[in-house]
Amino acid sequence: MTIAQFVILGTALFSIGLYGVITRRNAVLVLASVEVMLAAVNINLVAFDVYLADQLYAGQIFTLFIIAVAAAEVGIGLAIVLMIFRNRHDADVDELDLMRY
Amino acid sequence: MIDYHALAPELILAVTVLAVLVTDLVVRSKVWVAVVALVGLFAAFVPILTLAFCEPLVGCTEVTRTMFLGSYVVDSYALVLKGLFIGTAFVAVLLSVDYIESDRYYEGEYFFLLLSAALGAVVMSSARDFVSIVVALELVSGPGFLLAGWRKADERSNEAALKFFISGVLALALLMFGVSLVYGLTGTQQFDQLAAASVQFVDLPLFTIGVLFILVGFGFKVSAVPFHYWTPDTYQGSPTPVTAWLAVGSKTAGFVGLLSIAFIAFPAMRDVWGPILWVVAAVTMVVGNVVAIKQTNIVRLLGYSSIAHAGFILAPFAAMAGASDAAMSQAFYAAVAYLLIYAVMNLGAFGVVIAGLSKVESAELTDWSGLFRHSPGLAVLLAGFFFSLAGIPPLAGWFAKLAMFQATIGSGTPWGYSIAVIAVLNSVVAIYYYAKPVKSAFFDEVPEGVSAAATPSVASPALKLALGLSIAGVVLLGIFPGLVAQLSRYTSEIIAAIF
Amino acid sequence: MLNQYFGDYITVAVFMAVGAGLVGGAVIASRMLAPSRPGGFKEIAYESGIEPVGGGWNQSHIRYYIFALLFLIFDVEAVFIFPWAIRLDFFTELGNGFLILWEMVAFIVILVLGLVYAVRKGVLRWE
Repeated sequence: MTIAQFVILGTALFSIGLYGVITRRNAVLVLASVEVMLAAVNINLVAFDVYLADQLYAGQIFTLFIIAVAAAEVGIGLAIVLMIFRNRHDADVDELDLMRY
Repeated sequence: MIDYHALAPELILAVTVLAVLVTDLVVRSKVWVAVVALVGLFAAFVPILTLAFCEPLVGCTEVTRTMFLGSYVVDSYALVLKGLFIGTAFVAVLLSVDYIESDRYYEGEYFFLLLSAALGAVVMSSARDFVSIVVALELVSGPGFLLAGWRKADERSNEAALKFFISGVLALALLMFGVSLVYGLTGTQQFDQLAAASVQFVDLPLFTIGVLFILVGFGFKVSAVPFHYWTPDTYQGSPTPVTAWLAVGSKTAGFVGLLSIAFIAFPAMRDVWGPILWVVAAVTMVVGNVVAIKQTNIVRLLGYSSIAHAGFILAPFAAMAGASDAAMSQAFYAAVAYLLIYAVMNLGAFGVVIAGLSKVESAELTDWSGLFRHSPGLAVLLAGFFFSLAGIPPLAGWFAKLAMFQATIGSGTPWGYSIAVIAVLNSVVAIYYYAKPVKSAFFDEVPEGVSAAATPSVASPALKLALGLSIAGVVLLGIFPGLVAQLSRYTSEIIAAIF
Repeated sequence: MLNQYFGDYITVAVFMAVGAGLVGGAVIASRMLAPSRPGGFKEIAYESGIEPVGGGWNQSHIRYYIFALLFLIFDVEAVFIFPWAIRLDFFTELGNGFLILWEMVAFIVILVLGLVYAVRKGVLRWE
């Protein structure tokens, strides 16, 4: 295995996530796509950490922080989606257009 | 060993955050929650002073303290901005007290979230590696998402929160992908090592892509133009005191991260980020100012005005391609000076708007005409803060613009001259849309249906104190422009030391 | 060198063949030996031996998500405790073990405070 394979995997996953964020209309699926992007970042960081044989394990420690940050984001995001669902009974991003120019 | 003196502001703030939670649980009268928050913020300000003036006080040899292998640095730049963030949070708490009380969502969590965001901003000022920057950014953003959606039953507030949230997490994901690429190539995440290592990667496309992703992430945070679409909606839909915090505290935190990354981590990459930020700054100024002209809602007007100001703050960055090290130091100084003045005058403007909203009970600009007839004091303050935002000479905003022009023209590059021309044109446009509501507040008739004339002034002590602090700040910076120059020069010594 | 390289892959291939053979053999053997009597309780969804309530696409109650969110957040915080536990020995040898211990105590106290807050606000009540 070479480092390139991991980076290609990470980049592909990141692109899939970005595509999902742009095209998905349901807020929960947008959130899931962002999580896919963060997972791609984690793959990159761990792969680079091992490849560089980092003495400080900076990449792995960063990964732990990203996992925690991602969990916090899911908590906040689902709370917001639940709040919207209670008021509107759907979670379609495109229909949130009360405010325009 | 751990330098507890240097960490004291953060530790006091963290303890205050927990104390606010506990107070909310044990005390019935929720005013005490705000009191605890204010006392904690005040206490956190004290160690900043002792750290900044430690030479006469405890006889230390220099202000800069480096901790955790260089990941966390308390220097004059960090201290000035920490003071700014704590002051901003203090005023934001004061602005919120009445608003939260008059609302039916009166919970202690509000102040808990606001203080958590302030803690994140304070950490951001000292963060000198990517892990700290990302954690600080998340600590600023996360509570912001929830605060934007504070009015749970109001669909506009819901919409504000969701738009802010989606753009915020997308920005964070892009930023972290960029960080992972930069880390993979250089093998380090610390800014002092990156500054040295980045020299050999300047021509590597993958490294450039990594740096670009990081810039895009911060572009969302500071609402620079291609990434600004969430800003007006979020500002309009959020509770107005929250908008004040988002436009001042949260945005300044984004700029602090951007400053640290551009000037401390990647000064060698200035030929890469300079031209990109030139385009971003120019487009941000033009879009912010031009769209602001057509606004009919005063909060939305301030939203676009804050986008336009982001463009002005980015202008010194934009002039940096091919600039000398001295010009870098000058630009850093200009950006910090602009941030300080922007924070003070924008808080004041939001204070006036919040006081006015409780009187006029409408955010539509047409309902604000004739303000001088029923609340003359408020109209005078509105004029003062709006003219300061416009950059009219005797007021503080003028010095911010002056520092910005000195930095851009002083860089001596074509990038600098061209961005200065664009900034001048935009300043003229800005005067128009700031002057219009002021003119109608003074000279137009009170519209029918606005019964504000009958109600007496309802500004509470907290709101008055908040306004008083903002006025004091603007007057202080306006009368003693040397003060802000001193503070910002003090910070740019850090940059001078790097080169 | 090259033989060694392919030799490693042959080992992998043999392992995969044996693995596939074991699994496939077990499935085929049970198919041939076991009696087949479909119908009745065997058709319904399996829920740990308890009789299932409702269909497979049942919607969960909204409260479930709040519990799930709280669980998720506290669960993920555990990720910081593992590396800390592994390196505690190292710091104890350096002589500042207690400092590191107290840092984790502070971390857990903050988490517990969050839990206490959730309990006092009635989030964990299933009503």
